[in-house]
Amino acid sequence: MALQVFLSSVNFGRKGTIIWDSPEMIGMQVFILPLFQISFFAILAQYIGYQGSAVQYIVVGNALQAMSYSSVFAVANITSSDKWQGTLATLIVTPANRMALFVGRAVFQAGLSVVIVLGGLFYATELFGVSFASADIPGVLLVILITSVTMMSFGLLISSIGLFMRTAMIVANVFLFLTMLVSGVNFPVSSLPAWLRPVGYAIPMTYGTSAIRLAIAGDPLGKIAPLLGDEVLVGAIVLLLGYLLMVGFERLARKTGRFEEY
Amino acid sequence: MSKLQAVRASAHLTMMNFFADPQWIIPSIIAPFIFTMVALFLFVNVTGPVLLYAVLGGGLMGMWGTTVYGSGSSITFDRWNGTMEATLAAPVPLIWIIAGRVAWNTFIGVINGGLILAIGMLWFRTGIPIANPVPFVFATLVTYVSLSSFGLMLATIYVLSRKGGFIENSLEVPVYIATGTMFPVALLPLATQPIAFILGPTWGIEAIRKAAIAGYAGLGTSYWTDMVILIAETAVYFVISFYLFVRVEKLAKRNGTLEEY
Repeated sequence: MALQVFLSSVNFGRKGTIIWDSPEMIGMQVFILPLFQISFFAILAQYIGYQGSAVQYIVVGNALQAMSYSSVFAVANITSSDKWQGTLATLIVTPANRMALFVGRAVFQAGLSVVIVLGGLFYATELFGVSFASADIPGVLLVILITSVTMMSFGLLISSIGLFMRTAMIVANVFLFLTMLVSGVNFPVSSLPAWLRPVGYAIPMTYGTSAIRLAIAGDPLGKIAPLLGDEVLVGAIVLLLGYLLMVGFERLARKTGRFEEY
Repeated sequence: MSKLQAVRASAHLTMMNFFADPQWIIPSIIAPFIFTMVALFLFVNVTGPVLLYAVLGGGLMGMWGTTVYGSGSSITFDRWNGTMEATLAAPVPLIWIIAGRVAWNTFIGVINGGLILAIGMLWFRTGIPIANPVPFVFATLVTYVSLSSFGLMLATIYVLSRKGGFIENSLEVPVYIATGTMFPVALLPLATQPIAFILGPTWGIEAIRKAAIAGYAGLGTSYWTDMVILIAETAVYFVISFYLFVRVEKLAKRNGTLEEY
């Protein structure tokens, strides 16, 4: 039954999330946003005087971070979309497995995230000279896949918060861009003030940015496996936390009738 | 109802909506703020007035972000709330209603820009070393008007099209790049530089930097050259806006295609 719910949610997730997954929005996420985001920080780095590998560090980081629009923002707005369309209450009264329901609807975004990153890496190599000559391609693909799934979990955590709020869009917006600052996208996490670093380590992408750079440099899977292991662990914790929040908020909302108070 | 009354009423209503739910300012603040913070971390080992350079750019990004999202979202919310048709049917030209909204949103953009400036300066302890305060304030105000006029121009597209979200999100970062908010436009590919020069904010940020940073040369033009070009381009944006709004309103009423695209 849970599998049935999951599969139908995957199907509905593709067809039903009209706002964020219209053809032009998909085109924007795949072709436009990565190009200009990477360009902005690459040109800025060159202006400041960063050379060669430092610029490529930034380019690769932003190519991976570009997935956040899909894996974090769009996923986080799943509950908000249901609220706007008036279908959340109906969903909540069903006996469907909650994990299967919401994870299923986010799966399409995880898949789209992979495509977005591949597009970003295409720009990285064609426009910014990032070389994949010695890259461990299976390793790169594995990093992209794991980061997409774990960041999807992160988006589901925010979506759970949105269950109790009027909209998750505001929180989603914050975390969409926060990864740019704290997840080792443009500079190492060690450059952040000490009090801010734990925030970075609590986000799965932080491990992904380190891992993808190693994979592109040619490091074998054995060397990036610990980073991927940490990323999977953080992703699992985030997913579990999101599920507990979702169940908790649902109970609270049923008990108090305050579904959309905040 | 006079046109000025319509602008004032529209601005007042937009202001009331803002205070009723101020959280919606966050989407337009957060991107410029994060971009500025990242830039400041990247600038950290560079000497000279670069911190002020970066926070001024961040301030303009904040103004731009609020203008783009404010212009688009006010019309998008009209669509979602079903008030688009009533707004269009009001006995005052649509441009004056939208002008009121754009004026308030761009005002918030100036506040937003100032906040980013203040936070950046406090975080990195740069102080407030504005070299020429009066020209700085004048350039900021004229840039505000220029951004309003640009937002008005964009609003015509939002009226005709349902793709407001796509347009807003697609325009944000390209304009950061094209207007030289964080780096000179001379670094852009030659073919794209003309785009920078026809954008008023490009000249606005140039004038603001010349007023704020002693010895800043930028594009090699003088402060007053930048201001003249900025004012001229702003006037052109207003003319285009008026023309487009008249056309758009006639088209929407004649064809009934307000929400077709």
